[in-house]
Order: sequence, then C-alpha cells, then structure tokens
Amino acid sequence: MAVIAHDPSRPTQTHAEVTRDVLKTITDAPTRGYYVLVFGMAFLVLVLLGTVVAELKEGIGLAGYAPPIMWSVYITTFVFWVGIGHAGTLISAILFLFRSPWRTAVYRATEAMTVFAVMTAALFPILHIGREWLFYWLLPYPNQRYLWPNFKSPLMWDVFAISTYLTVSSTFLMVGLVPDLAAVRDNVSGWKKKLYTALSLGWTGADSQWRHYTRAYLYLAALATPLVLSVHSVVSWDFASSIVPGWHGTIFAPYFVAGAIYSGIGMVLTLMIPLRKVLKVEHMITDYHFDNLSKLTLLTGSILFYAYGMEYFVAWYSGSTFEQTTFWRRAFGPNWWAGWTMIICNAFVSQLLWFRKIRTNLTSLFVISIFINLGMWFERYVIVVSSLANDYLPYAWGQLNPTWADWCLLAGSFGWFGLWFTMFYKNFPIVAIQEIKEMIPMPRRKSAEGAH
Amino acid sequence: MTMRPDDQQMTEAAPDGVGRRQFLKVLGVTGAGAATLSGCSTDRIAKLVPYMVQSEQQVPGVPTTYASTCAECSTGCGLHVTTREARAIKLEGNPAHPVNAGSLCSRGQAGLQALYHPDRIGAPMARNAAGGFDEITWDDAIARLAAQLGTANGRVAAINGYGPSTFSTLLDDMVGALGGRSVRWEAFGREAERTANFRTWGRYELPSHDFAAADYLVSFGADFLETWGATVQQQRGFAEAHGYGNGTMAKHVYVGPRMNLTAANADEWLDVPAGTEIWVALCLARAAAMHHGSPLAAQLAAYTPEAAAERTGIPAERLAHVAEEFAAASAPLAVAGGIAAQHRGAIDLCRATNLANIAAGSIGTTVRFGDGPAAGNDYGTVQELFQSMDRGEVAVILVHEANPLYALPKSGNFAATFAKVGFKVSTANVMDETAAACDLILPNLHALERWDDRAPRPGVLGLMQPVMEPVKPGMHTGDVLLAAARAVGGPLAGFTAQSFEAHLRSAWTAEASRRGAGDAEGFWRDALQRGGVYEPAAPAPAPALSAGAADLAPGDTSFDGDGEFLFLPYPTSQYHDGRGSNKPWLLENPDPVTKITWQSWVELHPETAKRVDVREGEIVEVTSPHGTVRAQVYVYPGIRPDTVGMPLGLGHTAYGRYAADRGVNALDLLGAADGQGFLPYVATRVSLTKTRDYRQVAKTEGTPRQLGRGIIEAMPLAHAAAGMTPKESMTAAGHPPHEVNTERELEAIDGWYEAQKERWNLGNYGADETPKWGMAVDLSRCTGCSACVTACYAENNIATVGEEQVFKGREMSWMRIERYWEGGEDGEPLEARFAPVMCQHCDNAPCEPVCPVYASYHTPDGLNGQVYNRCVGTRYCSNNCPFKVRYYNWLKYNESAWPEPLNLQLNPEVTVRARGVMEKCTFCVQRIRAAQHTARLEDRPLRDGDVVTACQQACPSKAIAFGNVKDPSAEVVRWKRDPRGYTMLEATNVMPAVTYLAKVRAVDPVAHGEAPAAGEAH
Amino acid sequence: MLKRSLLGLVGMVAVAAALATGISSSDAQQPSTGPAPLSAADSAGLKGPRQPIFFRHDIHAGELQMQCQYCHYSVAVSSEPGIPSMQTCMGCHALVAGRDPANQAEIQKLKDAWAAGTPVEWVRIHNVARHVHFPHMRHIKALGDNACATCHGNVARMPQVYQVNNVNNMGFCINCHLERNVTRDCSACHF
Repeated sequence: MAVIAHDPSRPTQTHAEVTRDVLKTITDAPTRGYYVLVFGMAFLVLVLLGTVVAELKEGIGLAGYAPPIMWSVYITTFVFWVGIGHAGTLISAILFLFRSPWRTAVYRATEAMTVFAVMTAALFPILHIGREWLFYWLLPYPNQRYLWPNFKSPLMWDVFAISTYLTVSSTFLMVGLVPDLAAVRDNVSGWKKKLYTALSLGWTGADSQWRHYTRAYLYLAALATPLVLSVHSVVSWDFASSIVPGWHGTIFAPYFVAGAIYSGIGMVLTLMIPLRKVLKVEHMITDYHFDNLSKLTLLTGSILFYAYGMEYFVAWYSGSTFEQTTFWRRAFGPNWWAGWTMIICNAFVSQLLWFRKIRTNLTSLFVISIFINLGMWFERYVIVVSSLANDYLPYAWGQLNPTWADWCLLAGSFGWFGLWFTMFYKNFPIVAIQEIKEMIPMPRRKSAEGAH
Repeated sequence: MTMRPDDQQMTEAAPDGVGRRQFLKVLGVTGAGAATLSGCSTDRIAKLVPYMVQSEQQVPGVPTTYASTCAECSTGCGLHVTTREARAIKLEGNPAHPVNAGSLCSRGQAGLQALYHPDRIGAPMARNAAGGFDEITWDDAIARLAAQLGTANGRVAAINGYGPSTFSTLLDDMVGALGGRSVRWEAFGREAERTANFRTWGRYELPSHDFAAADYLVSFGADFLETWGATVQQQRGFAEAHGYGNGTMAKHVYVGPRMNLTAANADEWLDVPAGTEIWVALCLARAAAMHHGSPLAAQLAAYTPEAAAERTGIPAERLAHVAEEFAAASAPLAVAGGIAAQHRGAIDLCRATNLANIAAGSIGTTVRFGDGPAAGNDYGTVQELFQSMDRGEVAVILVHEANPLYALPKSGNFAATFAKVGFKVSTANVMDETAAACDLILPNLHALERWDDRAPRPGVLGLMQPVMEPVKPGMHTGDVLLAAARAVGGPLAGFTAQSFEAHLRSAWTAEASRRGAGDAEGFWRDALQRGGVYEPAAPAPAPALSAGAADLAPGDTSFDGDGEFLFLPYPTSQYHDGRGSNKPWLLENPDPVTKITWQSWVELHPETAKRVDVREGEIVEVTSPHGTVRAQVYVYPGIRPDTVGMPLGLGHTAYGRYAADRGVNALDLLGAADGQGFLPYVATRVSLTKTRDYRQVAKTEGTPRQLGRGIIEAMPLAHAAAGMTPKESMTAAGHPPHEVNTERELEAIDGWYEAQKERWNLGNYGADETPKWGMAVDLSRCTGCSACVTACYAENNIATVGEEQVFKGREMSWMRIERYWEGGEDGEPLEARFAPVMCQHCDNAPCEPVCPVYASYHTPDGLNGQVYNRCVGTRYCSNNCPFKVRYYNWLKYNESAWPEPLNLQLNPEVTVRARGVMEKCTFCVQRIRAAQHTARLEDRPLRDGDVVTACQQACPSKAIAFGNVKDPSAEVVRWKRDPRGYTMLEATNVMPAVTYLAKVRAVDPVAHGEAPAAGEAH
Repeated sequence: MLKRSLLGLVGMVAVAAALATGISSSDAQQPSTGPAPLSAADSAGLKGPRQPIFFRHDIHAGELQMQCQYCHYSVAVSSEPGIPSMQTCMGCHALVAGRDPANQAEIQKLKDAWAAGTPVEWVRIHNVARHVHFPHMRHIKALGDNACATCHGNVARMPQVYQVNNVNNMGFCINCHLERNVTRDCSACHF
C-alpha cells in the first residue's frame, strides 16, 4: 500500500473492481432522488420552450432589452455556456497529450459537460435574433438570390466556431466511449444491450482495434486541442472587433480563453463534488484530483486577475475619454454591483486556492466553485451590458432591467444542460473504465499477499 | 397596381382585408384604385378593383398634391397635401404661402392624424334618457337642431374657435339673426397685448413682428418659437436674423423665469421672477429713449438698471449692458405677452414693451401695424357668456372647434354652468370634454375633407378643398347650419344657400369683385391652385401715442395663495392648448426642451429638488388655493429655484384613446376669476407635498451632458467672424481639443479612404456620374423645434410605441433632436445646445462589416443602406453604431401603431417594418429614387434640389441642406466648405456624410465674466 | 432552398421561351388563324386563375394587335401599370358586341356590371411582394414599349393569363440585371 500511496494518481483497486464499480453507476436502479432531478430539469426545459414560443409570437422585445443595450442576458448566457465547455476539452484533450495522469478519472465527465454546454450555448445565437425562423440565412448556401453571408462579420466566424466545436467534441466523446460501452454492453441485457451494442461499434478489444482506437483518439485529441484556444478567441472577437468602448481590446482573446477555462473548471467542480458521492466513486475521484483541478483554477483565476487589472490600465493609458468613462462607470456607475461581483468572485475568491487546506476541503471547494460560476456569468454581463449602456453618445445612454423572459431563458438553459448531463451519467460510464485500468499497476505478489 | 392601404407587414402576409374594404369606403364615389393585400407569396389571391371612371388628376402610383390651409391653430399656414390614390398621406407647407413659406410645424403635420383618428365619431349622436349617446341619422339630427333653434326665441349662443372665415361669419350672422350671441374664442388669445396696445395707441389689435429684420431681440415671456403667434413664420425670421451669416448675427435675450425653447435659443437668459419682467422692459425703454433722445426719456428716467436690479435680482451692470446693446442696436425688437408672462402685470408689461419699441424706433420697422394676426373675443367675453348661461339666458348653445370645458380652469365651475343650458350642441368629430357634456353631437368634417376658408390676417385668405372622400361619414357644419336654417325658416329665411360650398363660392365671388378681379371664376380657380389669395396688406402708418401711454406705475404683481413657490404653467410646442394631445406623433415626439414624452411632469430646479428632498420621478402633490394635482418630478436646471413649472395640454378626461386620462391638467391649479379680460396663467403660488409614489419619467434622453465629447460644437461670434474652425475656436478659448489621430494614423486613414473610393468605382459600383449623397446641418439656425422629427415619422411610416416602450428607450425616432446642457454650474450661465441626429451615413460605417447577412451595406451612391427584408435582427449593427441611430422593432409595433383607420396615413413608397427588423434613417431613399426615376424619364441628369428630404422640407429655419456632394455647385457642398463645419465623434473615424456647422453664440463678455450668472443670481 | 433555386432555373428557362415565342409572333404579320373560339366554360381547363369575366388577352392583344398601353395606361409613367377603368372597356364594347355567342355572353357581363355601376373584381396574377418597389416606367423606358413579355410572357397568346415567371423570385430579377449589367444595388428596389 505504502508504495501505491506515493502515487495518488494510481487507482487502488483491481481491474474487476473498476469495471464493477463503474458499471454499478449504470446498472443500479435509479433512486427517487434521481427522478426528482430529471423531472426538475425537464420542467426547466418546459419553461425554456414556453418562453421561446412567447417570443416567437410577440417578439424578442419581451425580454428587457433597453436600447442602446441591444445585447443583454441572452448573449451573456451564450458566452457563459461556451466558456464552460473549454475546461472539458482542456482536460480531456490537452492534458491527454501532455500525458498528465490525473485527468484519467475526471475527463469523461468533463468531456460530457463540454458537449452539453456547447449544445446549450448553440441555442442562444438562434434564440436572441429578432427573426429566429430566418437563422439559416447565416449559413452559406447557394440560393436563387445569389446572396451570400458576410464573411467579414464576426457573427459568421461564430457560426463556424461553434459548429466546429460541437462536431469535434461530440465525436471525441463518442469515440472515447467505445471500449467502455463495449464493457457495459457485455454486462447489461434487454434494450440497453441493443443500444450499447450499436454505440460500441462492434468493439471486441482485438489488438488491431486497440491500435486503431488509440491512434484515432490521439488524432482527435490533437484536433480538439487548438479549439480550446480558437473557439473562445473567436467568441471574444464578437466583441473585440467592434468599436464599442470596453469591447475593442486586443487583450480579449487570451482574456476570454483564460476566463473560459476558469469558469469551465468551476462547473466541473460544481458537478463532480456531489456526483462522486452520488455515484460512490470517491475512491476513484479523490482529493488528489480536486487538488489538481484547484491548482488549474488558481492559475486561470490569476490570469483573469491580471486581465482585469490590465483592462483598467489600458483604459486609462489609452487616453480615450470613451474608454475611460466606460471603465469608470463599470466600477462606480449604475452597474457597479455587477462589476464588483465579477472582480470579487473571479479575481479574489480564486486566490483562496493558494491554501492547500482549502484546495483539499471539498465543501469549501464546492462553495468556491459556485462563486466562480456566478462570477463568470457576471463577467460576461458586465462586458456585454455595462459596455453598451454608455458608449459614445451620452444622449443615447440607457439602463437595463431584465424581465421574466430573460430569467426564464437563463434558468431554462440550466435545465436543458442539466437534463442531458443527468441522463448521461446514469446511462454512460462517467469514469473511463479502460483508461483507469491502464493505470492500474501490474499486480505484485507482495501486495497481493498484503491484500490477504 | 400596388396600393398598400393596410401595409402592416413587411415579409409576413397581410393580416386581413378590412384595410381594403375601409380603403374602398374612403375612396367611395371617386372610385378606387385597385388594392392588393397579398404578401410575399403570390398564391394568396388578391383582387384588382378597377375604377369605374378614371379621374384625370389621378395617375396610379403617382402622388397628387392639393393646396389647402392648415386648421390646427389660428395661424392658418398654407398646406400642400400629398395624396396617393385619393388618400392624404402627408402634409407639407405651401411654399407660396406668406406665413409658413413651405415649412410646417409638428402640430400642423399631425393634422393628418386628426383626419384618420381611430376615435373619430362616425355619426351624429343624441343624448338618451340613460345619459348615454345614441347614433341618429343626419336628417333626425338636423331636425332636432332646427326644432331647438326654432323654439329658443333668441336665447341662442355659440362658442366658435375657428377664427375669421366665411363660415364664422355665417355662424355669427345666423346666431345674430336668431337674436343670440356668438363668441369667437381661442385659448391663448393674447388679450393682454391687445389691451396694452389699446392703452398705448388706442388700437385694440395686434401688430406683426418682423423677426428677420431685427438685429437685437428681447423677449419678455413671449415663446415665439413655440405657441406665441405665427411660430413657423417667426422661427423662419429668427433663423434669418439669429442664424450666423457673413460674420454677423442678431443677439437674442430672453427675460422670464423659465428656460423654454425660445429662451434655450437665446444668447442670454435673464431669469427674473415672474411679474418683474416689466422692470427690465422699462429699463430697456429708458436706455433706448435716452440713446435716441426720445421725449419718453423724461417719464422713464426713474427706471434705472439699479432699480430693475433691485426688483429682479439680476445684477445692475448686466441689465445696463443689455439695455445699452438694445438701445444701440440698429433694428431692435422687443416682444412680450406669452403665457410665461401671463400674470396680473401682463398688460403693464406689454405696455412697457411697447414703450421700449417706440423709444428704440422699432414701430414701422420691426413692429408693423396693419397685417397683424386677427384675433377673436377675449376671455372676459367668454366669462360673460357663461354668466348669462348661469342666469339661464341661454337655451341652445353651439360649440364649434372649441373645447372650453377643458381649456378653462375647473375652479370656474364652467362645467356646472354649461350643464344649465337646455340644449347643448357640439360639432367635435372626436369626443372631447365639451362634446361629452352636450346633448347633440354633429361631427364636422375634417379640414381636409371639406370646403372652407379662413382669413388669419389681412392679406392672407386661405382656401380649403376636400382632398378626399370623408374617412367617417361626417357632415360639414356649414351644411348642417344651412339645412337647419331651411327647416327653421322665420328669422333664418334669409339663409338660402343650398350647400355651404355654394355659400362659399358666392362669398368668394363677392371677394373677387371686392378685389376688382373681373373673372370671378378665374379668381376662384387661381385660389384653389395656390391654396388661397395672398397679397401683402397695405402697411398702416405708425399709430399715434394715446395720452398717458407712458405713465405706468409698476407695483408688485399679486399672486393667489401663500404657497412657497410661484406656479408657472406653460404651453408646449406639441400640445398647444391641449388640442395636440390626442395625436400619437405629438405625444411621442418629445418636448423639445425636457425631452419628455406621453406624460405630465412637475419641473423643479435642482436646488429646490434637493431642498424638498425629491428625486426625478418621485410623484409630488402640487397644491394651490384652487386645486391639487399629482405628477412626477422632473429636475430641470432651466427654471428659477422659487418657481414650479408644469406643461399644459394633458390631463384630458375624454378626447380619444390617446389623450383620455393621460397626465394631469395644470389648469386645475388656476383661478378663473379675473377683471382684466384675460386668463392670468401665472397668478398662483403653490406648495409641494411629497408622496411616497414613483413613476418613471418617459424621457428619451440618457445623459444631458456632453462630457467634453464635442458632439454639438459652439463658438462665440467673434471666432466665427474670424473664420475659425470649431477646433481653432476651442484652442483660442484655451481648451485645445484632445488630438486623437497622430499624423501616421491620419495618413493611413486617407490611404484607406482612397482605396474605398476606388472600390466604389468597381463594376456595378458605378463610376463618377453616380451621385454621393450628403447632408449639412447649420446648428446656428436649428432651434430644436422638432418639426423635422414629425416630418420623418410621417414620411417614413415610423411607428409610435407608447409610454411603456419609451420607458425602455425603445422609441423609433429615426431623427431625434439631442439637447445638451452646458454650464449652469458654479457661476456658468446655463446654455442649451440642440442638434438633429439622424443616421450619419458614414463612409466608413461600423454597422456594415458586422452584419452577417449584408442587410446593412453601403450603396453605390454613398448611402448606408438597410435592407429590411434581409435583416434577421442580430442587432450587432446598432451595438457598433457610435451614434445609436438604428432602431429595432422589438415587438409588433407595425400592428399596434396604426389602429384603423390610422393605417391609411401610411406612405405606400416606404415599407412598413415587421418586428425583429432593424430600421433607420435612409436619407429618404424613396424620394431619391423617385427623383432619379423622373430624371431618367425626362432624359436629364439629376439637378441640385431635385431631392429634398422630409426633414429638410419641413424645417422652418431651413437649417438642413441635402444633395450630391460630388456636384461642386450643390448647396450642400457650399455648406460643407464652411469653416464651422465638423463631423460628430471624429475620433471614431467613421467619416459621416452629415456635416454639422457649429452653433454661433452672440455671447458678450459680461455674461461670461465675473458677474454672477443667470443660474444663481438670487 | 433547393426548391427556390430550381424555381429560379425554371424562371430563366421561361424567360428564354417567352422571348423566343414573342419574336416569332411579331414576325408573323397577321396571325393566319385567329385565336380558337373558346367559351367561359373552357376557361376552367386553361392555365391561370379563372376571371369573373373570361377576358381574352389573345384576342385583344393578339388578334386585334392592341397595344398593351391602351389599357394599362400608366405603365410608362408610373411604377404602377394601371388597370383599365370600366369606362375604357365600355369605350369599345358599347359598340363591339362580340363575334360569337360565347364572347357575347362575356361582354354582356361587362355591360351589366357597367349598368350596375359595380367594378369587375379581377383576380390578381402578378403580385410583387410589398417590400419590393418595382418601377414599371423605368423598365419600359429601358426596354421599350413591348418589353412587357420579358416578365409577363407572351400574353398575346394567352386566352387566359397565367404567371409565366415568378415575379417574386429575386433571382429572376437579378439574372436580367446581370445580363444587361444594370444596377444590383439592393436599395434600388428594397426601401
């Protein structure tokens, strides 16, 4: 044991145990709590649908838009969800390429989170436009009008960024699942068996299959890696390439990427901490993993800290009265509360993670993760709303009061995301069986004896 | 042919066919152009309805213009009514008309919404036993009227607000023949001035003021840009005189407790307490008399600047300076008598002003008798009439074009008195307060539907002709009266005309012979074509001073009550006496000074607000000895701290869906008693009580300060005369502008701009003969009157969105007048700056690259195009627009804004935008295209002046130039070359096509020197 | 979308066809055989919607060679082509009674309508979307008085008028404007 204890990344149990424990999460009958969760989420999805129908009928104006604030809660939420995705890709792809052992236990969950987060985000660009039924005009398709979309528009880049991200990360997830699904297939019966048989693509575990599989996985990882940087950079250019004071900053791309990963890990923590308990996989997802996640959080959080500082510096240094006013009002204007929420939750709270005690105390971590999610939503709110609220022409300045339509769609997005995720972790191996197994040290007599 | 009467939807299908039926009804006998209703898809079949007989005047798809006369106020401006397929779609000024010379104020243009008002009464109505109204037939209605008139034996009366005209004469004659009395009365009757003129010259009449000729203007509470006199004409004159040109301009000084639009356009504002204006007037008179050695000097000797300073709190040296300037001016003009000075000292004030004009030798030059506006009876006469009603001496009363039960203070119990009349008849075609109290309602035709005329002043005889079939089956009151006369017989047997039209014709034949026009027929045809007969009236000689004209004994003006504040109700340029407040255009077009829409408000000076401890939007209770009203506070730096202001015109209890129960009526705080023949509006003191209630102020303005962003530039006269640019002026004034673009950047920009120009010349982006449209706005002429805004609403089918949406800042005004405050703090005098802001059609437009579908793009002729049907509504363009001139259809405004039959006013040349679509100023592209079509058909190139935008057309001060900037001879190019020219937000390098010419202020050193400033001189 | 682009294609083909036939017809100085005698009853079988009166463009414009602008009077001066007033119809049909019973029956309908003072409500066939501003006069000016066929097909050969080209198909407009290299500026039609 002592030997093993030295490397916390190595699981403590045998192959059989791993398979058993993970399969239990799927084969066990769902608890009442689980049903409550699912129906809760389903209800929120209905709220979402209701709001969308209402807005299709009456117009997007049901939300609290107040010119000049033409983008508000919806775009905020869009950026928030895109951001969430990034941690997943970082952990599953980049850390894989870096051969960082600790990712193994958590990457499947984060990978799933990524896909669902992007699926959620993808709703908003469609829902926030005024004539939702014409969203396909943003796609380049040949038509008798000889009309093409404007490839100069950042919104077009967005369309491509998001769709690419969705394709790649979902493929990555499904491919990664194949061996595990095979394992599940061999342990279930009835319609489930059919389902997993289909999804595991006739996996037998033959050497040739393993060879191809590992290659494919490697390439997909390599493919996904740049997306971690590109996607949110593009999203950031939605803002950075405009002339709105508080938007057009060269710092935006790295600033957004860091923020994205920061918020993503926040969400990972929020999800994993309760999940490992519910699924009884504490022995696989251990303090050690959270400790590492926290360090990543600390890193990105500190980058954000710097970015915030730099934004204000640049605003001052630019000598542009427009920039200066915008940032002054961010801190002391009518939206000061949002501004400070973002700075405190992101810049300051993350600094608590310097302390090992806090990093390893799951309760405190969970609380912090909530703050992170809150803070990152508000970061986007501040960037979108309080920049638009006061730009060039003082006569046109405005104030935003979000309405029920804003909040319902926000809540609905969480329901939509949550529904997918809850259904996923109950029906798919939330921990990567075969990768864990790979990490199990060859059984040694000594330790085996010790076990007796 | 595509006639789009109910063009409610852009890309979606039309709602229903009601529009068409309505439309056919409207066109009635004239015969309908075919109406199509189908939307995009051709599978929904619409009908083509041919004319039975094709009228010669009408070419389908080509607008027909009729000359007529405006009936929205007593000024009687000339109209050009644009009709398409026989329905009026726009009102513009008649260029041939001496009063408005082609432009038209907001209220005049909004007459269209009275024509198509959704609450117009469709049939005569009689009060039933239950107290409600029943619709009856016209025959029945006329029979009832006749019966009452027949049996009234002399106890008949009429209140007629229509003013001098063939109709009014007919009415007077009839009532006279019945032995009754007919009172001509309109609110704001300028009685005080007339009385004063009587005492000064022995002439109970109004002179005309030549603002254009004046080089020094002083106004004592006369809001000549809003409601006092012929505002359009005066504004034109004011712009002529006060607008900067070849190194000079007139100076304008306003004396009064509140900065209204007129004061906001003054170079100096003397904010004296209400009732003390006379001291300033006399001070001016004295200075002028001494300067010109007038005999008056002796009598006026006592009125020194010191004396005035003591009464007004304005420092003596400042008064002395103004007085000297006034005296030294070559063509000075002093005017007095607006509502702002309508206090118990008003008559003396006007007399003092007369003296000032006399002393300065203005009589016969800037003040002329002989062609002044004709006026009706005074308020005293109306009071007498009501007293006789009270005594039961009136059995039948006819109220025409007047709404006394609203326009007279409640404290006078006029309603109760009115109720004592046995049989009350109203001719209102919208249910107003008076009509609601009547027994019989005979809805009159709208001025655009009837034959009529009016003689607002000597030398102007305006004619009206029906330009379309009645929207609602009304009946001309003239015809009603004549029909009744035939039925009554007896005393009325003399009125034999078969119809009012016939009567009018005979009256005009008489007029023709009076004018010695041999061919009466030709005289009439001419008048029809030109909208009337206009010949300058013979100027009367300067009247002799009557004895004792100069002996004035100004004392303290008395005010009712002992409240803490002086109460100042004032009419706004939109609502006038309240008749404007049932028209969405006027309700949504913000008050020029406060920028508030759809609401009443209580104006408090910031200091006062702090002292009373109320914030903007907090509802306060204003109490006078005569009543109490509750309204939200608007904190306004342009009013004296000891004064509380409230706009007039709202607080209707009836008068249609838009006016009823909107805001409060400030008249409720006034007393009605008065011995001077006029209603003293500024005669009460009020106290304020806090309530804990709150209501957002529906104003369209975000922040009233420019924050040094140089959006509306202004420069002192000296600098302008020296040919400085705004930047040079600022530098000279010691504030060098912050230079954003380095040399390098500037080079880069120029390089880019050249490249851009080349791009235009590629392929379809055709060549040099393609025009490039541009605009220039002269801020030294613009007064902020907002007529252009209404014109834009009318021309471009802009939806009115209502109070709730304005709260969210969702108003759609493509063109808005921005008003910024300068100074007003720590000793600086308060200065207002106005600028119309519309899409700047930037060459380097930030909105264009960000649109993912090319809905926003640059046209070959340099417009910033907006393709509504391509727009999907991402709204990025608006985010990226530094001027925030893009407006978004958040909800189905296209369905809510034009309830039937209001939709008939829509301009078929402009697509009505559906929800979810971005819209904005297009430089009236439909007018550009129309002009290009005409030019092409006539095989000639476009000429400068072929394209006139709606705003440019309406502007009374001619502050807008538009044209092809590639044409060196174009007026717009000349304007753009002016050194005062600058573009807004230059730092953004968007290269606007709109150039603003900096405002010029005739400021004098004293006002800017050590002397305590207007803001705090008390 | 595919559907739309197909429509576009059909549109182009149709123009070509229309033009071709148009030329051939104008070549033939007088049509050797007049239009087939048809009665209102047959109109059901013909292309295009049935009209309240079975008005024969093939007789008026084809056999009788009447100029389009005789009835569509404002096409050269206005964006609207103009629909002939009842008076215009009666101008001739007060005298012209029709050559066979079928025609006479239809013309009688017209006379009745005129007597009753009720306009005939024709069924609209070409109907441009309301967000498009199509200036007829500019096209007549540019293409000449007989340019009608370019969009409306050879009406002179149509016993009952039907839509040859989908005039709401922007591709149809663009194609012509490309061929003739005239403006493709959106704001030429959309404002």
